[in-house]
Amino acid sequence: MFSYVFMKILEMKPTTYDRHMDRASRSHVLEAKRAIVKEVTPGSYVLDVGCGTGDLARMMIERTCIVDGFDMNPAMVMAAGERIKTEHLEGKFSARQRGVEGMDGIATETYDAIVSTLVFSELNDDEKCFALQQAQRILRPEGIIIIADEVVPQTWCRRILHSIIRLPLFAITYVIATNATNPLADLAGEMTRAGFTIEKEVRSHGGHSPWSWAGKRRR
Amino acid sequence: MISFFKTIWGMLFRLFPCPTKVGLCGIGDPGPDSPVLVTCNFDLTVKRLKRVLKSIDVWLLVAESKGVNVWCAAGGEEFNTHSVVSAVKTCGIEDRVTHRTLILPPRGAPGINAAEVGSRTGWKVRWGPVYAADIPRYLADNYKKDEGMKRARYDLPERLDTGLGSIFPIYFIGAMGFFIFGRNLITEYLVAGAPAFIVFMSLCPWIPGRRGITKAFFVDAVLVSTLMIIEVSLKQYISQLRLFLIIALVMIPVYGLELGGLASTMKSDLDPFLAKLGIGAVGNVAFAGTVRTELLNGYRELTYNEDLCIGCRSCAEVCPQGVWKMGKNNKAEVVNKEACTACRACLVQCKTEAIQAPRV
Repeated sequence: MFSYVFMKILEMKPTTYDRHMDRASRSHVLEAKRAIVKEVTPGSYVLDVGCGTGDLARMMIERTCIVDGFDMNPAMVMAAGERIKTEHLEGKFSARQRGVEGMDGIATETYDAIVSTLVFSELNDDEKCFALQQAQRILRPEGIIIIADEVVPQTWCRRILHSIIRLPLFAITYVIATNATNPLADLAGEMTRAGFTIEKEVRSHGGHSPWSWAGKRRR
Repeated sequence: MISFFKTIWGMLFRLFPCPTKVGLCGIGDPGPDSPVLVTCNFDLTVKRLKRVLKSIDVWLLVAESKGVNVWCAAGGEEFNTHSVVSAVKTCGIEDRVTHRTLILPPRGAPGINAAEVGSRTGWKVRWGPVYAADIPRYLADNYKKDEGMKRARYDLPERLDTGLGSIFPIYFIGAMGFFIFGRNLITEYLVAGAPAFIVFMSLCPWIPGRRGITKAFFVDAVLVSTLMIIEVSLKQYISQLRLFLIIALVMIPVYGLELGGLASTMKSDLDPFLAKLGIGAVGNVAFAGTVRTELLNGYRELTYNEDLCIGCRSCAEVCPQGVWKMGKNNKAEVVNKEACTACRACLVQCKTEAIQAPRV
């Protein structure tokens, strides 16, 4: 049982964000990224929603994908830009600063895959709905969307335990970062309503951990 | 019950966030021609707006501000261009109305770049009146504002309201401190602290001094002098009165230090003071290195190049202090520089960089 709300604190220092996230999550985040990469067909044109420092993008580039990323946090985008320079990823990865509301500027049926880790828990209901509708539009036929995020546990006892663990983390995070996240209550339902067919839904640690990722293809 | 608790929380603990749901809501029976008002997602603000607007048909678009009120969230850039753009594009308002005009709260001007909102959404931005109570008249007069609607007044109800919400947590923490460490003095603390607050906030416009802390020290000096006069005239040492006075003498500068942060009519004291102490930030709330604190500490200065002014009127529209006025040649003029509180509203809204804040 775990919560990722503290990521807002780690985001304040982008250069160490990925390392600290992996350490704090006992490599759950890294495992999730590896699992996402396995689901994306090599050579795909991918959109990384909330690309952060470009860690996931780099892993996908290793599978010959080309990745466009965007993130709201300018410091994260700057770190991604540094990565592009130092790891010579020009032409394979681009990172822009914008939020999901900017997805309406992307041409219809552009991408083979859309991936997103720990972003939807930061969005409000309207933004989530909008992002999924836009994802539906900009994905090519048979395109795949994979969303990995913190979700509300399935059983009530796990929910209570999750809340007990989360509450102090939430308070500390809010005091330090004046920001927090909300675990997703019905990610599958929201995706279905946006027109996606759910192919796979995974909850890490047999459902004990609220970390979850879901692979869905376009209807 | 939760709603009532949130209202009380919002009134007494304004320093802390109290978020409400972000998104679009209709007030009355809004249609495709109804005005679209934008506000923050501070619970108390949204409730008060709904109360003021209950007899009008309008769309209220609640944008993300991390649960903080408009003035504070705009100053801290939590109520910003992105939050408004995101709300407009994702809430579905484009399908509900035929016009494309947003009415923004002018106290959000330090955080929201109206020109950028316009270019990213295709919506025209108007700055509404400073006070919600003026909105019905503003709408009835076809978006016309008189000078009174553009300016922050900081009159008695507002002073008590904002003062209570910001100072109560400090008062409360003090009471807890006395409860734990000096229970025998808690009555004196409670009795002296509350009237000190009410008297100070009630009389503050008439107390000499431009800054809150100056006003507070003036009041302290008056209180000490009064006590001395009483004791000398009675030829008596009044220990209980001295105790009340010491508590009031400490509390009033606390109120004074906070005053500038509450009032959009006064310069902030606390942020530049913390910056000078070397406290750069608490969490994500930055003090040092921000344009605002650097303006307040004199490390930057507002400059105006009239040649670059295109007469868009933005600065005159958003300045809560009436520092700017449109001249006869349709160029902005500085008419009341001393009143500037360094809120940055004009700086953010200027489309041509005619107003800048270079380092001195």
